[in-house]
Amino acid sequence: MEPHIFTYRDERKLLALIAVIIAAAGLALVQITAARSGGASPVGTVATSFTSLAQSAISAVVGGVRSIGGGLLAIPGLSHDNTALRARNERLQRENATLHELIAAYAADTAVRPIVNLYPRGVVARVIGFPPENESRTVTIDHGLASGIATNDGVLGPGGVVGRVVAVGPLSSTVALITDYTSQVPAITQRGRWWGIARGNLTSVRVEYIPQDAPLKIGDAIVTGEGRVFPSGEPIGTIAAIERNDATLYQTAVVIPAVDLGALDRVVVLKK
Amino acid sequence: MAGPRWWVAALLLVGALLAQTTLLHLATVRGVAPSLVLVIVVWYAIAVDTRRAAIFGMFAGLTEDVFAATTGGAWTVSTTLVAIIAGMLSRGFFADSIPLVAAITAFATLVRALVFWVVMAAQGYPSGLALLHFHQALLQMVLNAMAMAVFVLIVRRFENRT
Repeated sequence: MEPHIFTYRDERKLLALIAVIIAAAGLALVQITAARSGGASPVGTVATSFTSLAQSAISAVVGGVRSIGGGLLAIPGLSHDNTALRARNERLQRENATLHELIAAYAADTAVRPIVNLYPRGVVARVIGFPPENESRTVTIDHGLASGIATNDGVLGPGGVVGRVVAVGPLSSTVALITDYTSQVPAITQRGRWWGIARGNLTSVRVEYIPQDAPLKIGDAIVTGEGRVFPSGEPIGTIAAIERNDATLYQTAVVIPAVDLGALDRVVVLKK
Repeated sequence: MAGPRWWVAALLLVGALLAQTTLLHLATVRGVAPSLVLVIVVWYAIAVDTRRAAIFGMFAGLTEDVFAATTGGAWTVSTTLVAIIAGMLSRGFFADSIPLVAAITAFATLVRALVFWVVMAAQGYPSGLALLHFHQALLQMVLNAMAMAVFVLIVRRFENRT
């Protein structure tokens, strides 16, 4: 057997071993010192920091994989849920629209209810049509001869006078609004009781033939006088402008209608 | 001159009337809506002879008077007259030219408005309303010409398909 020759390579191994022993001793010393002082060991702190980072990374990856897997597994169920929710959403939207319509109808009915209470023979009608061209101010309502409506019946809406019936069919009637050129209603100012004739002017109503000495004011209310079409006291509108001329016997009041004639829905026809 | 079938024009007229009495008041520009009835009348009138144009215009105007209830015969007279004029005008031109048809529609709108208010004045309305409503007629002239251009394009597409 040949004697072992201690080489340069063996020397390096020995030095490395000694270095490891010294490092381990150093670490043990640090650990023992930290344990004695009751504080955290720097070695433990570094080690746990790295470990926690690794744990976080691994947990995130595992969580992601699990959620993807779970999602893939739940796809058939989700599709079913989605279909059911869509159907439910559609049903709820339909119900919502129906409820909105009912609320609107109830509000419209409620608006004309006081008129019906006042005139029990009144016929509640819906506005269903408008003139084909814009030159006349008429509307079509959904009641006619079958409901006992006749020409020249007065029509009231929420707030006051709407107009009068000018043509009657079996199931529908045409109402000339108070703003139509053909409309003429005996009118009276609520303050002062001055008489005049309310005539349509397409956009507004002009109360003509009011005595020149009547001290009219902007904002004065104009109501119907007793006549063939309307009972007295129904609001026509309020004065927006006054036209006076020293050379004439009468003055004219421009009146804004009490009823929003552009948004008519339900009206009451006053049968004679 | 053959022109469109009368029943097609009649169906279109009924559709136009229904649209005007129910929907178009919701789509006005400064209180003015296009007159689809006039568009149909002019479209039909320029494609047929004057006699048929006059009859169609008379029925169209009559139905408008019936719906309006307070206009007497003003729409009947004005629309018949406009149909006759449109029918006569188209004889020397190509009836399917969009600029020409739109121009005839614009002219017809003004003439119809003028005749309408003259007849209304004759029926007891205050005179001078044609001037008072002139700005509305001008706006409607533009709207009607545009509506006619769109209508002719749609008709062309249908004709190409068939």
